[in-house]
Amino acid sequence: MLDFALITHFETWDRAAAAVSLLRGPDRPPLSIEDVRDILPWIPPRVSSRVTVGSSEGHRVHGVCIESFIPPGRLDRRFLRENLARVRDAAQVAIREGARIVTLGGFSSILIEGKTDLLPSHPGTAFTTGNTLTVALIVRGIERALALAGRDLAESSVLIVGASGDVGSGCARCLAPRVKRLFLSARNPDRLRKLAAEFPSPGNSVVWASSAEPAKSSEASRASAKPLSTNQSSLVPASSLETTRLSPQADLVICVASLPASDVLLGSLFQGDALSQGDALSQGAIICDAGYPRNLSPHFVPRNGAIFYGGLGRASGGIKLDPDLLGIIYPYSLSNIAHGCLLEGILLAMEQRFEPFSQGRGLITPQRVEEIWRIAQKHGIGLAPLLNREGPAEASITRLA
Amino acid sequence: MQPLAVARRDALECSAHQIQIWADVLAQAVTGELIGAMNYNTLAQLYQDPAEHAEALEHAQGETGHAASFTAAAKALGIEVATNLEAQYWKRIRASFLARAHAGDLIGCILAQEVMLESFAVASYRVVAKAAPGELGATFARIAAEEDEHVAHAIQMLQGERARDPRGFDAKVHEVHEAIMTTLAQMISPKNRDCGCGLCAGTCVKSSLPQVGVSLSEIRGASLQRYLRTLDEIGVPGESSLVWVAQLPV
Repeated sequence: MLDFALITHFETWDRAAAAVSLLRGPDRPPLSIEDVRDILPWIPPRVSSRVTVGSSEGHRVHGVCIESFIPPGRLDRRFLRENLARVRDAAQVAIREGARIVTLGGFSSILIEGKTDLLPSHPGTAFTTGNTLTVALIVRGIERALALAGRDLAESSVLIVGASGDVGSGCARCLAPRVKRLFLSARNPDRLRKLAAEFPSPGNSVVWASSAEPAKSSEASRASAKPLSTNQSSLVPASSLETTRLSPQADLVICVASLPASDVLLGSLFQGDALSQGDALSQGAIICDAGYPRNLSPHFVPRNGAIFYGGLGRASGGIKLDPDLLGIIYPYSLSNIAHGCLLEGILLAMEQRFEPFSQGRGLITPQRVEEIWRIAQKHGIGLAPLLNREGPAEASITRLA
Repeated sequence: MQPLAVARRDALECSAHQIQIWADVLAQAVTGELIGAMNYNTLAQLYQDPAEHAEALEHAQGETGHAASFTAAAKALGIEVATNLEAQYWKRIRASFLARAHAGDLIGCILAQEVMLESFAVASYRVVAKAAPGELGATFARIAAEEDEHVAHAIQMLQGERARDPRGFDAKVHEVHEAIMTTLAQMISPKNRDCGCGLCAGTCVKSSLPQVGVSLSEIRGASLQRYLRTLDEIGVPGESSLVWVAQLPV
């Protein structure tokens, strides 16, 4: 029996190539990205490394990483059927390995999105998306970033891009009562409308925009919301336009959309004309990229703003992988870093709670977030120092103060 | 069986260059089948159990029959198929097999022929079947299905063998993998363009495969996938087979 299994995938081809080269060993020439592109998509899901994680309470839990081999170029809903098959195969490997709790890491939880009946069932194995701890770490990361920038959350205007998803809606529920204004953006208008209706607090305002409709205030907060211009053509992809209209009003942007690289949001909100004109983001905006794969292009550098990666935690009791792929997944000088989704499965194993804690159905509440956070603290898992593509991000955020 | 007139029409749709490509592809397939027949004949001598002995001889006959079927399907398209049992890679594979047989290593021989070579045959024939003209495509598909039965036979037997000594069994798989899979990987490597395999009539056929709608990349990938799934079914840990496959030449 194993305590846990983590279903993983590579975020980029260069990391996949680095992992394959590590497996080849030092005596064989490393493979090029092209070589890896040719072979990797054919590899069936399998254990890629054995994992041991220490709790600050003194005990250790043992598990495996199961690499799904979803090709980094196909982390996209267009490849839904083949990716679902990979996740199901990976889940089957976890069951065969005897894992008692399985985390659907990164893109795999987006694929399942609450439809856990798509996974093979086994009485001794529970599945969690890990999204509740991800939300906890995003919120703690935001608190940390604002503190570094000398800002107050209660005075902040926060935009959540991808707000109708499991992580986005969880963040919205945690932040709505605590911020000055909350802007919600997503592609699915029905889900977004339903989410916005959850926030009737008169003390703040919630404004939402979907791909199908222009920005609107939620009924209960209409009075306090400033009107937004709605004169764009409805034929133009509205998700980026509406989000672009919302984003200059936000001093904090959380990206949890898990959009394909070609999506209009990335194309026009943060990389395209709007940004070059300097009007897509407010001066000094802090951007939390909480997607895996990342939502923001690696080439995107905000003017007069800062980026950090949300949802990363650190285990003080240590994380050991054999073979040691951790340094490839998290290429930072800091050790023992992992995404919240992976750490949630580990935590549940430490706590001997082999249950589907997060089911990916948009049900993440502040109470559940606090519950997993208490468990995390008990076992020495906390917020990782804020990081971005360059490494430590805290100095760049402090400069905004 | 397709009517001859239809088969000839398919052949007419192929240019002389395409005919030559199919001839080179078939030279590999027929030589591989003949090596397989020799391996099964050798394997039969290692079995103590009369039923297994008889089955191995039957498999040998089956492989000879496959070679004959390929040759006949080719002939219907006007393609002459060359064979060469001294062809570099196939000769090396046969030598590795014989070394195990001479050492009385029945399990090593089953792994080489029924797991590695047959997995390669099943997957690569299925890829080729999609593109091959006329009756030839159907022949590749039918033989792939028959070879699949050989793999299934091996899986059942090897599961029990592994259960008796998992560590020793996995070490043996790795050893046989190093010899057989490394040779196959070199043979089908796209970078090994002038491989001197001894079977192509002119220049190496690998770079010409797209001209008849066959993807070398798909042959490599599908073969590796079939091989890994077979090892998974036998019970070899996926983390071990992952490392072995990652270490193959490309």
